This record gives sequence, structure tokens and C-alpha cells, in this order.
Amino acid sequence: MGIVILYLVGVASLAVAGFWLIDRHIRKKGTTRRATPQLKKKWEPYMFLLPTLLLLLFMFGYPLINSFIMAFQNYKLTAPTKIHFNGLDNFRKLFGESDIWLIIRNSFTYVVVSVAGQFLLGLILALALNKRFRLRGLYQAIVFLPWSLSAFVIGLMHRWSFNGEYGVVNDMLLKLSIVNEKIAWLGTPGFSLAVVIIAMIWMGIPFFAIMILASLQSIPVNIYEASHIDGCGPLRRFFQITIPYIKPTIIVTILLRTIWIFNSFDLIVVITNGGPANYSQTLPSYMYTKAFSSYDFGLASALGVLLMAVLVVYVVLFLKTTRYNKAGNF
Amino acid sequence: MTYSTKRLLGNIGRGMILAFFLLLVILPIYWMVISSLKTNAEIINAQEVTYYPHEITGANYVQLFELYDYRRMLSNSLVVSVSTGLCITLFSIFGGYGLARYSFRGKDTMLIFFLVTQMIPLILVIIPLYVIFSKMGLINTHFGLFIFYMIANLPFCVITMRSFFERIPYTLEEAAYVDGCSKMGSLFRIVLPVMFPGIVAVFVFAFIGAWNELIAGTIFINTSNLWTVPVGLKSLIGKYDVKWGVLMAGGVGALIPTAFMFAFMQKFVVEGLTAGAVKE
Repeated sequence: MGIVILYLVGVASLAVAGFWLIDRHIRKKGTTRRATPQLKKKWEPYMFLLPTLLLLLFMFGYPLINSFIMAFQNYKLTAPTKIHFNGLDNFRKLFGESDIWLIIRNSFTYVVVSVAGQFLLGLILALALNKRFRLRGLYQAIVFLPWSLSAFVIGLMHRWSFNGEYGVVNDMLLKLSIVNEKIAWLGTPGFSLAVVIIAMIWMGIPFFAIMILASLQSIPVNIYEASHIDGCGPLRRFFQITIPYIKPTIIVTILLRTIWIFNSFDLIVVITNGGPANYSQTLPSYMYTKAFSSYDFGLASALGVLLMAVLVVYVVLFLKTTRYNKAGNF
Repeated sequence: MTYSTKRLLGNIGRGMILAFFLLLVILPIYWMVISSLKTNAEIINAQEVTYYPHEITGANYVQLFELYDYRRMLSNSLVVSVSTGLCITLFSIFGGYGLARYSFRGKDTMLIFFLVTQMIPLILVIIPLYVIFSKMGLINTHFGLFIFYMIANLPFCVITMRSFFERIPYTLEEAAYVDGCSKMGSLFRIVLPVMFPGIVAVFVFAFIGAWNELIAGTIFINTSNLWTVPVGLKSLIGKYDVKWGVLMAGGVGALIPTAFMFAFMQKFVVEGLTAGAVKE
């Protein structure tokens, strides 16, 4: 009991110290500008934020710290009496696995192709929507619909459409004589990951389109008018007015989306479950498989720590390049 | 080429692009809906794939409700999603107000922490949470799932709510104080009615986030009478035998609530998405 209390106090004081350090670092850089008048009451803001902070501290922060500890432990749920620290054993085991490089490559392909596809198609859709036409509201309600659908339903749709025997995709390809025989999409290395990527792109186009459209609509019209008078062609107008205006939105959306796509793996679980033989497995989905099929929480957490390290580097670069914290508004 | 023919060509091009995206979205959904209305024999006919049901049947839906207790799944999902939605809305009204109206020590750090939580892979939290929940007896309860959906969606909703509050001038509140309104009184009677779009957006985010979630559901819930819709339907995907007709029917049932919610609240949701995530 005493150890537990000591441990909790230790964790809490570490958290407070870390918070204080980061906060001091940020405040040194000067405070941010605010649009609304700022009230200076000592306790009120903390009271307003208390429920949120408590919940996040105990159910988000505390587990997170736990998983960092687990990463250095021999932690198997099947052998609860044999939990002990084992140094870097989990990491050694992780890189000893034969498929780890395949999985890292898959993650990379999955993220890059999905983001690129969503961005390009989202941009085209947003540009096409950036002009009034009849029933635009209705059209948007339909075209943005995939945003509201669950990865489970979307995965189901694609899994069924790309079914090797009864799938509609094979049938259409046969009828258009693009292929001569049915393709086992989900059972072929390479193709199975492609199906996951297609589903991911389908799911994410609306988000990009919504973001880019909002930013397009904030471009002042008189700039276009002026460029028209000066004899600026449509191509030049696009590259020298539109793109520079929406560039900040594009950067932030792509960066946020990259992280989100990297972390999300429910489509993989539904469509291929990583198969065949890990050919469509990504790092987070592998972590899920490790944790809840073999119940080796230590190994899974080690993988998670690795993921976090990659993400932290990414986030720091992200905050630096976009000056996200200085903008004050996110 | 004259100006008007150029414009005509431009309009045709735009029309084709718009039609392409419309088909891109509608076709998979169409395929799902008609598959749910086909008979099993028509679904697994490898010789001939039919593009519309030759024989319309409701058998898949009947099976779904009678054999697999879909009603139970729907009501489980509804309970979890509505409670998550309501609680998150309340929490983020307070949190968003605190962040929008005050300057205090630790505010910027707090905002960055909220942002960072959006970047942490949730599976990293689920693993230790599984251990914590089993110690607390929260495995296999809707309450455990509710807690998880709260922490998963709350930071984003608080940030979104904050930007909605920031758009409302503080003078509105000041006027209320002058007229003798208390802090809470002005918040609930003056500010919140003006905030309606923000409140709707946040509720929809939280509801949809909880309704659509699969992974945590499969991990935290393992008795069939507590299954939410995605978790219950996933159990129909066997290793060798997949009940496609029933699954498609279940999928249609799962997407109807969120699709309608989105279609009617689209304006608010779009506003919320752009307010919450990016602002240049």
C-alpha cells in the first residue's frame, strides 16, 4: 500500500513538474494576442476546466504513463504473477521479429498514399464546390456523407465490393475486359493493402474538401476581380492567388491528417485483419494484434513507445514549421 | 474562343467533376443497400453478379432482428452514444468557456496538451486502461466504454467549443451583469442560446464518435447482450462463413442515424470542424 501511494505521489509530482517546466518555457516566448477581453480571476477558470482536466488526468494521462512503464516490463496478461522489469528486452524482441520491416514499410505506404489521395481529390472537390449552383446544400450533404460513417461500415462496404468471388469490382473489371480472371483482392499481398487505402481515401475526402472549401471561401473576391482586370489567366490565378491563400490550411490539414491516418487502424481490422500474412499490417494494427491476441502487453507497449517517439518528432517539427502555438487559435 | 464559350466549357467540366464525386459516394452505399435486399442465393451467385435485386426480400432484416437481437445492439449503442454526447457537451461548455474568457497560468500549455492528446494513438491508452478497468470492475460495462469515449472525444470538443465562445462578444455578457445577472445565469440564459450551432456541432461530434467506434468496444465489452452495433455486427464475420446479407442490413441500420444527423446538421458540423481544427 505504501509503495502504491509513493508511486502515485511520484507520478503526480513528475506530471506537475513537467507541466510547470513546459509552461515556463512557453511563457518566456511572450503571451499570445487575444481577440476577447481576458478576465483575471484566480480560481474561476480552473473551476470551469476542472471536470475535463480531472477526467483526462486519471483516464488519459495516468494510463499513458502506465504504458510507458509496461514497455520496460515483462507484462503478459496470461502470466500475471511473473510481471517484472526486463530492461530493453521488449525492444530487442520487437526488432527481432521477421515481419517488422515489412510492417514499417506498409505503414509508410498506407499513410503517404492515403494522404496524397485524400488531399488531391479533396482539393478538386472543394474547387468544384466553390461556386454557387442550385441545390448545392443538398449536394454537399450527400458528398460529405462519408465523414459521418463509421470505419466499420465503410470497411464492410469495401470488403464486400472487393470480395474475390462475389464482389462487384471484379465483375465490373471482367465486363470491361480489363482483367481476364477474378482477382483475389484481399488474399493477394499488395492488393489487400491497396483495398484498405482505397477505403481510407473514400472516407477522408470530405474532411479535406470541407477544410479547403472553408478556406477558399475566405479569399476576398476583389483580389480575383483585380487580377482579372490585370489580365491574369485562370492557371496563373490558381497558382499565384488561390494556392498561396489556402496554403496554411493545406499544411495544417495535411499534417493533422497524417497523424490521424497513421494512428487509425479499424479499417485494417475490418477489411483484411492485417492479412494475408501481415502484408496489410501497419504498426498500430500490429500493436493491437499483439496486445489482444497474445496478451503480451509489454511488447505491445514497447511498440507504442516507438510509435510515440516517431510522433513526437513529427509533432515538434509540425509546431515549429507552422507556428501553431503562436497563432493562439486552433 | 469567346468568353461565353469558355464559361460554358468551364461549367461542363465542373459538372462532370461534381457528377464523378456524387457517383463515388453513392455507388458503394447503393451496393450496400441493394445487397441487404437480395436473397442469400442471389448474393452468393458467383456466376452472375446482379446490379439490382431481382427478387426483393426483407429476410436479412428479419434475421438480423430475430436471430441476432439487433434491437439490443441499437439500444446499447444509443445509451452509450447519447450519454457520451450529453456529458461531453456539458463538460466542453464549461471547459470552452474557461479557455475562451480567462487568461490564467498554464493556459497555453493546457491547449497544447489538448492538441497533443489528439495525436496519441488511442490503442496506447486502451492497453493500460484495460488493466485499470479490470481492477476497477469496469470491463464489460457500458460505463467503462462511456469513460473511454469521453476521454477520446473531449479534448477536441473543448477546443471547438472555445472557438465558438470566442466569436461571441464579451459585451453581451457584460450587459447581462449590468442587468443583475449572475455568472451562471448569463452563461445559460444569454450566451448559450446564441451558441446553438456550437452546441449542436459538439454534440454531433461526440455522438458520432461514440456511435461509430469499434476497437475499444470489442476490447472492453465481451458479453453479447452489452454489444454495441459495430461490435455485434463484427461477430457475424466468421473465419470461413460471412453472412453478407445480414451484415449489409446491419450496416444500413448503423449508418442511418449518423447519416440523417449529418444531413440535417451539416451546416453546424462543417462550421464546427473548421472552427475546431484549423484557423489561419
